[in-house]
Amino acid sequence: MSSTVGRSLGWYRVPVVVVALLASLLLIVPFVILVATSWTGGSFILFPPEGFSLQWYTEVLDDPRWMDSFRLSLWTASLSTLIAAVLGLLGAVGLARVRSRLAQRWIRTLFIVPIALPPIAYAVGLYGVNMELGFLRGTLVTLIVGHALVALPYVFVIVSGGMSRIDPALRPAASTLGAKWPLVLWKIELPALLPYLLSGALFAFVVVFDEVVLAVFLVPPGEQTLPLRMLNASQEAFSPELTAASTLVSILAILVLAIIPVTNAVRRRRALEGVTR
Amino acid sequence: MSVPTITMPGAPVSPAVRKPLGVSRAESRWLLWPPLVFFAVALGLPLLMLVTQSFEGGGVAYGDALDVPTFAGSLMRTIVMAVVVMVLTVVLGTAYALAIVASPVWLRFGLLAALILSLWTSIMVRSFGWMLLELPQGALHWFLGLFGLADEPLELYQTTIGMYPAMVAVMLPFAVLPVMSALQSIDREQLNAATIFGAGPLLTFRSVTWPQILPSMLSGGVLVFVMALGFYVTPLLLGGPSNMTVSGVINAQMNQANRPDIGAAMSILLVGGTMIVYLIADRLFRVSEKWG
Repeated sequence: MSSTVGRSLGWYRVPVVVVALLASLLLIVPFVILVATSWTGGSFILFPPEGFSLQWYTEVLDDPRWMDSFRLSLWTASLSTLIAAVLGLLGAVGLARVRSRLAQRWIRTLFIVPIALPPIAYAVGLYGVNMELGFLRGTLVTLIVGHALVALPYVFVIVSGGMSRIDPALRPAASTLGAKWPLVLWKIELPALLPYLLSGALFAFVVVFDEVVLAVFLVPPGEQTLPLRMLNASQEAFSPELTAASTLVSILAILVLAIIPVTNAVRRRRALEGVTR
Repeated sequence: MSVPTITMPGAPVSPAVRKPLGVSRAESRWLLWPPLVFFAVALGLPLLMLVTQSFEGGGVAYGDALDVPTFAGSLMRTIVMAVVVMVLTVVLGTAYALAIVASPVWLRFGLLAALILSLWTSIMVRSFGWMLLELPQGALHWFLGLFGLADEPLELYQTTIGMYPAMVAVMLPFAVLPVMSALQSIDREQLNAATIFGAGPLLTFRSVTWPQILPSMLSGGVLVFVMALGFYVTPLLLGGPSNMTVSGVINAQMNQANRPDIGAAMSILLVGGTMIVYLIADRLFRVSEKWG
């Protein structure tokens, strides 16, 4: 691969790799400790854990409050992801058709801006909308819309990446043969973009599922999304129940996101079989 | 319009069809309108709310916001924090990206796995892990105790020193990924050419590699800086009440002091500052174009 870069560094690569290994400890160690404390057989958070048991996992999975929060997070995040996926796809496809370079740059910036938007300020703004428009009070509409906006850049960035890999000659070819733009979109661009849309949507889903700041302001009293329940639990008492829940959420995220490389591998194998057949 | 028009290259084009083949005006309009309308509603409306709310008392809220004693301090602290975290993250992130492309396969796999694990798990969960590490009787205390180094409980939890490593760790993937993709797209022949002509590792790095990864380092840095300005969860969990960021002060105004107008005014200042930084950096370093 790019080991040419490695060779060009000569012996200087040794200190670089050592620094990187130390940095990777920053990434891994806290997570390992978190997982380890959830195995404890005792009732306090201790490291190293006392014995080994999965009692805190059964505790979380049997607790209706945790499961209610899980279900709430699941459907609100799914809805937000759906909105973000549709709009991000339209944006990425539409942007490629804009001819002015200047307009293209500005629209691109606009689509990416939500990543840079401070979540707390955005949450305060949405909260204000909630208060002003009475019919929204007590509903989850602003939370879902806000999460969709937060998720949109991820879909947009990944789908635009796919858009730039489509052969630019295909579209003129199709339209010379008489296809109108909806047909071109449906028959040529959408199939080519589908894997990118899938990975963008899955990534967006995980981001939204974990988002907590908007939830602090926008979830109506009496309900809690999963991250919000976790944040509140951490402010009260740090128990193995919380680290067990955190571990479960992380495993879920890893499983969801692992769909992307697996489907890619399957598709590559199918393509290969198609060639050899 | 059922007859397709075929335009040969160089053929005289009537004004009506002088546009890329197969793109009609209607199509870009139909495709782009829904997301743009969504942005107007989902982004424009809340920002408008912030503006009207903050001017409810005729702009008094802005004066009051600056008079809140914790605000000025938190503003300084947030900016210092964002700068320090940005610098540390970019330096470490560049080393990390270089190590990924420069190390043997088994090591590269480990480094990538650590990076992906932290990219895929939530910032809050990772902050919980840091809390467990830094608690007075936490994992770090236990680890130091193995070497007989820790007699007293650690004083790291909810201190400034304890907050920075956690924030750097949380932000690291955002600095590594752009540099990594820049490194992977360097033309290998340039590096080979430099070696053949007798350039040592330092000269090769300075004149071939460095100029090609610098834009990505900058755009990664801008992203980290801007995200750090709005950081809420990690400072809340690890910095404690003495290390409140602007986000924490806004939250306190909304939920404890019950002054939504001041909260809105502070939010406007935070959004305004962040957006100005982002837009300037976007024009200078083309941050948005480094994505995808």
